[in-house]
This record gives sequence, structure tokens and C-alpha cells, in this order.
Amino acid sequence: MSAAAPPVTGLDELLLTMADDEFVIGFSDSEWTGIAPMLEEDVAMSSLSQDELGHAAALYGLLGGLTGQDPDAIAYDRRPEDYRHARLLDHGRGDWAMTIARRYLYETADAVRLEALAATSWKPLADLVGKLRREERYHLMHIGTWLERLASNDGEARDRLVAALDTLGPHAGTVFTPLGAEGSLVEAGVLARPMADLERDWRARLADTFEPLGLPLAPATMDPWLGRTAHGDAFRWLWGEFTSVRRSDPPATW
Amino acid sequence: MTDGAGSDAPALEAWEVFRQEKDGDPMRHGGSVMAPDAELATHYAREMFGRRQESVRLWVVRRADIVDLEDPDLLQPPLDRSFKKPGGYVMREKLAAAREAAGQEKPKARSR
Repeated sequence: MSAAAPPVTGLDELLLTMADDEFVIGFSDSEWTGIAPMLEEDVAMSSLSQDELGHAAALYGLLGGLTGQDPDAIAYDRRPEDYRHARLLDHGRGDWAMTIARRYLYETADAVRLEALAATSWKPLADLVGKLRREERYHLMHIGTWLERLASNDGEARDRLVAALDTLGPHAGTVFTPLGAEGSLVEAGVLARPMADLERDWRARLADTFEPLGLPLAPATMDPWLGRTAHGDAFRWLWGEFTSVRRSDPPATW
Repeated sequence: MTDGAGSDAPALEAWEVFRQEKDGDPMRHGGSVMAPDAELATHYAREMFGRRQESVRLWVVRRADIVDLEDPDLLQPPLDRSFKKPGGYVMREKLAAAREAAGQEKPKARSR
């Protein structure tokens, strides 16, 4: 299969950013398997992480259909600097509060992004987004429960949550890093509105939840032009983990 | 597993989970989960008994809310109760005689 130009300029970048987001958070959160705070939560977090990897696989599959690449090769055979996930997800899983904070910021941003794609003009993506939104609804419920729980606990849990939100804050908005060919995506009806618009909606919704809980709102994004590049050491380490099996025997079929 | 229970952490308690495999099936006991409240119990029930699409409905019940009856005087009284079991009566001949008197055929086995 030869590489073909995507039906809309920028569609490949949109799919890659979404897939990398889901892949990185899914892989990173799966590190809790076996060590989550309690058995039931261990199963829940592992299951949610698997869902995200499933979403990533579906998105890499759509991208592979456009470019003629093998979805596994897209997922595993790039150098760390070629991944395009949001820098929010470069932060390691940290403690439980960090994981909850990171996931809450990501899930709420992803929900806004998926809404803006619900009526996308590219049919294969529209079909997939419909399915993703049904699963993400549960993810939002789960992570919202945890955020409120940690925030409502006057003690170490709340202190750790606030500290995590402070650490993540400068990168919280990076899910909405403008795409290179965003204009053509909006014009073609693939994406309903520009990322900057979506970010505004997301920040307003975050304020609705965070203000009553007395949680710190995310400041303006630091170095917004680097929102999906310039990945740091924590990601390089994670990359080493998730590519280790594949690199151990590149020609093998798993 | 780390001990996440601080002094102000809500206590975990057991919740029993019943599941229905498909519409119309009876609710069957699936197992139990530990959770501090109904909200998390529901999340965990969903993960333990629904994440593989094996259920169409779950009932999540606080174990403490279940009325438990295991009194042997009420359930396993010492005297012979075999006369209360339907197997104590052999109905076949009586039924056949009744059918003959009424002029009815033996009904065929019902198919679903």
C-alpha cells in the first residue's frame, strides 16, 4: 500500500496527536497494575488503561489506513522525539494524587475535543468518535469521583492533589495545542472549532468544578508552541519501557 | 498493596453484586466488592462484573442491608419434613388415570 495524501490536509496530524495522547496515558496509568491503593481500584485503573490503549489502537488504525503504515509500527517504532502527545502526559504517574490530577485534566480536555469531533465530516472518524464517547463517559465518572474524594478530604489527600495540580498546571492546556493545519480541518468540517476555542470551553468547565472545591485553576500554558514536542526525561523513560519488548526482537510478530 | 487507610479515610465495607446476563434472565449473585460508599461500589462492580460486556444489569447491595436468615430452628428443623417435598408423592399413575377419565392426551414436551 502506498502512502497517500490524507483526504483533508492535517487529518493525519489530528489522528496522530489523539492516538499518542491515548497511548501514552493508557500506558503510563497501566503502571498501577498490582500496586494501586486497593484491589478493586487496581482492577478499575488497569481496565481504564486498557480502554485507552484500545482507543489508541483504533486511532492508529485509522491513521495507518490513510498513510499505509502498520499501526504497530506507528505506535512503537518512532523515536521519543517523534511522539506528538500533549506535554501534560509527559509528567510521570507520580503518586495516586498525581495520577488522578493528570487523568482528570486529560479526560475533561479529551471530552471537549471529542465533542468537537462528534459531527466530523470524515465518516470513519465520526463512527469511531461515537464509540469512544460512550466509553469516555464512564472514564469521566470514575475520575470525577476520585477528584472530588481527594479534594473533599481535609488532609494529606487534598494537599497532595493540590500539589499535583500545581505541578501539572503549566502543561494542563497542552491537549489543545494548535495543529499545523487546523484551519483546513475546521474549513472541511473535520473539527468543529479551532483548538483555542475548545481550550476556552474546557477552562470554563474546569472552573465550574474546581472553584467550589477550592482547587487551583491551571495557569496559561507554558511555551504553548512546544505543547506536543520537547518531551522530557520522564517520557524517554516511559518510551524505553513500552518499546522494550518490541525492540528486543524487531522482526517478531507478537 | 499499600495501606491507604488513614485515620480519616472512610471504612471499606462489603457490597454484594448481582448480575443479569441478558434481558429477561434472573439476577444471579456474581460476587462482592469492597468499597467505602455506593458510588465507588458501583464503579468497582462495573469493573469486576461488567467490563467484558458480560452483564446487561447489575444490582449492588450493601451487605449490611441484607436481611440474613440462617437460624437452623427455622430452616433445618429436626423433625422429618419429607412429606413436604413434592418428590414424596408419585404422581404419574394418578395423573394418567385423571387424563384417561378426562379423555385427554398426554401433552407433548414443550419446546421453547
